[in-house]
Amino acid sequence: MTERRRAEKAGGVLRRRLGRREFLRLGGASLAGAALLGVAACGGGGGGPQRAEDGSILFNFSFGPDPSGTLQELVKRFNERYAGEYKANWREMPAQTEQYFDRLRTQFQAGGGDIALIGGDVIWPAQFAANGWIADLSERFPESERDKFLEGPIEANTYEGKIYGVPWFTDAGMLYYRKDLLEESGFSEPPKTWEELKEMALRIKQDSGVKFGFVFQGADYEGGVVDGLEYIWTHGGEVLDPQDSTRVVIDSPESVAGLKTERSMIEEGVAPEAVVNYAEMESHTAFLNGDAVFMRNWPYVYALSSDPKQSKIKPEQIDIARLPAAEGQESVSGLGGWNFYINAAMDEETQNAAWEFVQFATAPEQQKFRALEGSFLPTLKELYEDQEILDRVPVIALGKEAILSTRPRPVSPYYSDMSLKMAEQFNASLKGEVSPEEAIGTLQEELQNIVDQGG
Amino acid sequence: MVLPALLIILVVAFFPVVSSIWLSLHQATVTNTGAFVGLENYVEMFQNDDFVEGLSNTVIFTVVSVGLEFVIGLAIALAINRAFRGRGLVRAAVLVPWAFPTVISAVMWRLMFQDQVGIINYVANALGIISQPILSDRTLLLIAAILVDVWKTTPFMALLLLAGLQVIPGDVYEAAKVDGANVLQRFFSITLPLLKPAILVAVLFRTLDAYRVYDLFWAMSNRELESLSTFVYKAVRVSQLLFAQGNAAAVFVFVTSFLIALLFIKGFGMQTSAGD
Repeated sequence: MTERRRAEKAGGVLRRRLGRREFLRLGGASLAGAALLGVAACGGGGGGPQRAEDGSILFNFSFGPDPSGTLQELVKRFNERYAGEYKANWREMPAQTEQYFDRLRTQFQAGGGDIALIGGDVIWPAQFAANGWIADLSERFPESERDKFLEGPIEANTYEGKIYGVPWFTDAGMLYYRKDLLEESGFSEPPKTWEELKEMALRIKQDSGVKFGFVFQGADYEGGVVDGLEYIWTHGGEVLDPQDSTRVVIDSPESVAGLKTERSMIEEGVAPEAVVNYAEMESHTAFLNGDAVFMRNWPYVYALSSDPKQSKIKPEQIDIARLPAAEGQESVSGLGGWNFYINAAMDEETQNAAWEFVQFATAPEQQKFRALEGSFLPTLKELYEDQEILDRVPVIALGKEAILSTRPRPVSPYYSDMSLKMAEQFNASLKGEVSPEEAIGTLQEELQNIVDQGG
Repeated sequence: MVLPALLIILVVAFFPVVSSIWLSLHQATVTNTGAFVGLENYVEMFQNDDFVEGLSNTVIFTVVSVGLEFVIGLAIALAINRAFRGRGLVRAAVLVPWAFPTVISAVMWRLMFQDQVGIINYVANALGIISQPILSDRTLLLIAAILVDVWKTTPFMALLLLAGLQVIPGDVYEAAKVDGANVLQRFFSITLPLLKPAILVAVLFRTLDAYRVYDLFWAMSNRELESLSTFVYKAVRVSQLLFAQGNAAAVFVFVTSFLIALLFIKGFGMQTSAGD
């Protein structure tokens, strides 16, 4: 007899003997009991480590789906190499970052959960760290090791002087452009300043009849925040004082100039009016359709351009550059990317096991494998000198400069609140509902409020 | 025998409600209940522009879309109530938009409103009705959301009203005809009064549904259009600092929904069960 049938039979006997009233009473009690047990079970992490059948320390690792298949391979390699010692179990999370975040937050609120190792977004560490949910890695991950990684991702994982995450792969805002169209109009180089970009875009639009000059992400969402910040940074503006992260310094002529440049893209006819609700997809659709000269987007688009189903233009027609900056300012790209965090609620041995995985996955060998097979941008500086990677993953070679000059969004436990406000104001300024001065003024006040409340 | 059932209902249904109300009276954070602050969260909530925008959008959306759905739904119900060939097929066909999941229809319509490939945007532009992309203007977005909701849920309204029409006995009309009442007189003095219970049920259902609108707004506007429910979501699940206000807003939605239902039942004399 199978387990299930046995259980069913026992249940049937029980029900018949008990009669309806007793059954209901029992049911109610067990319901309450189950609820209590559920609460207790959520505590997690209290005892020693969980062990697999072969005695190795078993831990859960969370990350979203990986269409490239390289993560499955990574986990397999780890489990083979450390057979008998450690065993990683990948728990697949929602592809949507917000939903994934929500899941983790629910787990942590319920008392830690059972996920030892988290592959998480670059904007999460401050909030997790401020709540004491993820482990301080300062001792495990000393300065000497951190120096081997790109600076942007390290900065993003640093909260109040301590490091909470290890950069796994990175992402950067880049300027895509149509090499062929630029050449036809007699331009040999991509624009270095925003003014140049506008002039070139308008000229090429006229020469070639392409619909749009420049497309980017202007909608009221996280992507719009990154784009808005890039305009501000490339004009020399800042959101938080680099010396004192409790001071909001967004109210500066530089920030206003940044939003003015963004708005001028629409006013001067460089970008379509609808860019105010473009996200990544709308922008890449327009660009790969051959409708735009320039596009600001993430590295993923390059891979799409070689798929004729997704793209009417060919990779040969595309080149990538750093984002333009205002005259006399430096080019800065918004940083994206994913990192490893360790759940602080887990016992010491499980944390050690998770740390082994972090070291394994961020080692040059594995990062190179993920770069070659899945086009994931490595976080180790040395890999940007690796000829095989540069040869075989063109987007890394083309976008190298942009990748090396990234800057994280403000690192704050209240980043999600700051982001909501910035998304709203950047979008309103882009639409022309408020002036750039008003938007920046409002943000100065609202962001300072948020930072103060955060204490 | 009532007791266990009542207990389960209390635990399952009322505990979360009471807990939310309790929490909404505290300076709660995501991890902490915090200090008792009375009604302060509610006061702050009404001073929050996002909440006010969500409330006004929700009210406009509810009143206009339910109003249109009722008028159009009644017209459809009257039309398909008559006996004609293929009546079953027409009745089934009318229901098609209602059968789509809201998110699917919202995304579908969003594509039609979109500037690059959207047919509606193209036509409206060509006719000179609009000069800017529909999806970039919140007023146009709200109008678009109302249209999509009308398209989607009018069939449901029609179906409920049709059910009401079918229980009105035919001989009442015949008697009226004999007495010389014309079409309009018959409609206003027979159909409407006798249809009242069905109308109230249909309108109440739709009002409560529209009042809690969430998925349609977010999928169609890509999270730009604010409603009461989207405000609650943003405050409780996205923001770190608005948690207390979010709880207050959730309670507000619950209490006002309850009041709307009460208004229908007491104010308009809706019958809650056959025995009344």
